[in-house]
Amino acid sequence: MNIKILAGIGLTFILLSCEKELDIHEPGNLVPKTVIEDLSLPSISVNGTTLHAETYGNPDSSLVIFLHGGPGSDYQNGLNVKQLADDGYQVVFYDQRGTGLSQRHDKNNYSIQLYLDDLTAVIEHYRSSPAQKVFLFGHSWGAMLTAAYINAYPDRIDGAIFAEAGGFNKQLLDEYGEASRKLNLFSEITNDVLFYDQFLTGRENEHEILDYKLAIASSFSYAEGNDEGIEGPSAFWRNGATVLQAFMDIAENEGFDFTTNLNQYQTKVLFLYGENNKSYRLRFAEKEAAFFPKSEIIQIEDTGHEMIYFKWNSVYPVVLDYLNSLN
Amino acid sequence: MKGIKTWIFLIMSFCIYQKGNSQTVNWNALEDSKHIIAAGIGWDYSVSYSLGYAYQLKTKVPIVLTGNFSIPSGEKLLDDFKTKIGGQVVLLNKSNMKGSIALNGIYRRYENPLVRLQNFGSELRGTLGYYKPKWFVAGEVGFDKAIVTYFKHSETFKEIIFTDVKDGWYEPSTGGNFLYGIQTGYSFNKSDITLNIGMVTTQDFKTTPLIPYYLMLGYNFIIN
Repeated sequence: MNIKILAGIGLTFILLSCEKELDIHEPGNLVPKTVIEDLSLPSISVNGTTLHAETYGNPDSSLVIFLHGGPGSDYQNGLNVKQLADDGYQVVFYDQRGTGLSQRHDKNNYSIQLYLDDLTAVIEHYRSSPAQKVFLFGHSWGAMLTAAYINAYPDRIDGAIFAEAGGFNKQLLDEYGEASRKLNLFSEITNDVLFYDQFLTGRENEHEILDYKLAIASSFSYAEGNDEGIEGPSAFWRNGATVLQAFMDIAENEGFDFTTNLNQYQTKVLFLYGENNKSYRLRFAEKEAAFFPKSEIIQIEDTGHEMIYFKWNSVYPVVLDYLNSLN
Repeated sequence: MKGIKTWIFLIMSFCIYQKGNSQTVNWNALEDSKHIIAAGIGWDYSVSYSLGYAYQLKTKVPIVLTGNFSIPSGEKLLDDFKTKIGGQVVLLNKSNMKGSIALNGIYRRYENPLVRLQNFGSELRGTLGYYKPKWFVAGEVGFDKAIVTYFKHSETFKEIIFTDVKDGWYEPSTGGNFLYGIQTGYSFNKSDITLNIGMVTTQDFKTTPLIPYYLMLGYNFIIN
């Protein structure tokens, strides 16, 4: 009997030993493939990179370019915005360089100017005539990028929507960061983003493992009682950990200020904020809106930072009214 | 292949090595004692609490076999933990100068709303220091390798992030961190109060864990 049991255990060990292990660096195992590895994904090649991108609506209509958050998130949680295609707009989505399903690059490749150049290239790619209007719709980091673009090129954009920009300069970014990223060292959710550092470590440009690590840390953002009022998990394909780190280093080492020319932008801009985001609120929206000569601030009821994903029905009419007023 | 490595590693861990990290030992206060009970609190990637046991072999060269269990802080008690078993041997054994090597086998578990990880790893740690019967101070360097890891993703992960994610054993090594720092302690009666403090860096020396430090305050009780 004992021999049979031992043989059974031994056989189990052998069978387990024969199970093929998976490669942590192989795209498609822990993270989805990018446009470089999966040619069936919609993409555009611009400014020396390949971006995961798609559009909805009539190509001759005014462009609404959605700029997702992060840095390092992707546009999946903003796809509700495509409803604007039914209202006569061409809605453009793209995963910013190094994020989502777009091509990865080494960390030293990234700069704010490169991201602005990418956006210029995206606009040129989709714009069918010089008369075609271009609107930017930025969420979180995407709203910061929107400000950066208008600050650099105030005459190129016909209107802008800012959904809870994380800060138009380093000072405001720090202010928002301190308000929204409070850590309780003894809590489970804090442990969830710290303890796994001994399981997973990626070298600087090992994108698969670093992106995956960032993905499983995402549960931190929607933990119960989070200050940003995020209701739960929202969809994304793949984070870009390297680009996030690159921009964090840039912000820390060089600082940034996207506000120096915003007072030259005479078009009215729209600010949105979620009622439940304790870190943002009307006071922060007013600080950011004050950089522009003309602005409107709207509170979206009963939601937080991920208002586009969770409360699109409330965001949509406000955004549509604004766009129609300028179109 | 994974399985073979895992089982060999496990067998090696349980049969050959024996040691626990937080059993920082004052070799000059240990004398002929056999049993040490250890407890600690500190920062080991997260706020962490540990319990351990050590057994000193009757050998010419001091050898201690140890086991250690630690859990991080958090509302869920056993979703994350780390166990270590291994051995520590004194290779440089002058009256006050001691140099030792510790080798541990590690089994650790991590779970959050998106994934459950189980990892087999190893830790090699070297210590060189000055030891007196009442106190000691030593430098330490170590390397913690996450050799093979099992990934099991939650339905939330599959629904929200990546439907086609592959669960299973992953190689090559999913991680590795170097540590370097100091350990010190005060011995009295049958007890030691110990402190380990230092820094952690990843294996490429370019990146660090989110909190790149470790700190462990320990208490050893020597039974006989």
